[in-house]
Amino acid sequence: MVADFEVEFIERDDRNARFLVRGASPAFANGIRRAMIADVPTFSIDTVRFVENSSVMFDEMIGLRLGLVPLTTPLDDFEVGETVTLALDVEGPGTAYSGDIETSDDLVEPADDNIPIIELKEQQRIELEADAVLDTGREHAKHQGGVAVGYRHLQRVEVVGDAGEFDEGEPNILRGVIETEDGELVATDEFDHDLAERYPGKELAVHDVPGAFVFHVETDGSFSVEELVTRAAESIGARAAELETKVAV
Amino acid sequence: MSYKCSRCKRDVELDEYGGVRCPYCGHRVLLKERAPTIKEVDVE
Repeated sequence: MVADFEVEFIERDDRNARFLVRGASPAFANGIRRAMIADVPTFSIDTVRFVENSSVMFDEMIGLRLGLVPLTTPLDDFEVGETVTLALDVEGPGTAYSGDIETSDDLVEPADDNIPIIELKEQQRIELEADAVLDTGREHAKHQGGVAVGYRHLQRVEVVGDAGEFDEGEPNILRGVIETEDGELVATDEFDHDLAERYPGKELAVHDVPGAFVFHVETDGSFSVEELVTRAAESIGARAAELETKVAV
Repeated sequence: MSYKCSRCKRDVELDEYGGVRCPYCGHRVLLKERAPTIKEVDVE
């Protein structure tokens, strides 16, 4: 079976997107989801060399915090396993933020400047050098590029008649994206996730649309949503191609 | 081993038989200083 996918964006931001894919099987939708979480590599701090740390926290705890700072990752320029050196030198009083991290390569820098690392008091100082390495979420969760990746079935809502005269008008809560009878796609937050608000006084039938999945994808800022989805698809393609060559031998 | 006296803030070298006491002011509370080497930490 060769399916033709139809893709339609419902929301589209740099870091956050919602899009509908028609013609996918549940297995393929889940494969893409897993590839987005585990197979697309991102840079993350892996080794830290502390020159000075007179703060109130142990070196190891600061190291763990640094590991979770998202770093921009241009995947065309680096291979998995490559490293980039970063440095941090902050003296108290004040807070050391991710924006204070200096980088040796402008392509790899903290995706957000306002992540607090540690608060320093008078005469406290932190000076360190760190190596960021490119690796996948399969190796460690700090390398996950997709941080909130999931999908739901597209749900079709049909009006089947009027509600009974003595019906209570209770809320009919539904989350995700609905398809109306005239084919319009509406995110449920537009009507406060309550179908009774959009269709007052109507009796409704809701059912899943087969083969239609609404993906909600959020990245940590390492790269855009488009990059994440295309790299995930490429990784599935690459594994399928590898299987094909191994079986043929 | 190098320590720092918590009262007079002077560096103190402890010897094996002298007991725990600052030789300058006699204070018995000594603080261990962080080693001046670079410490490497693996982030796991």
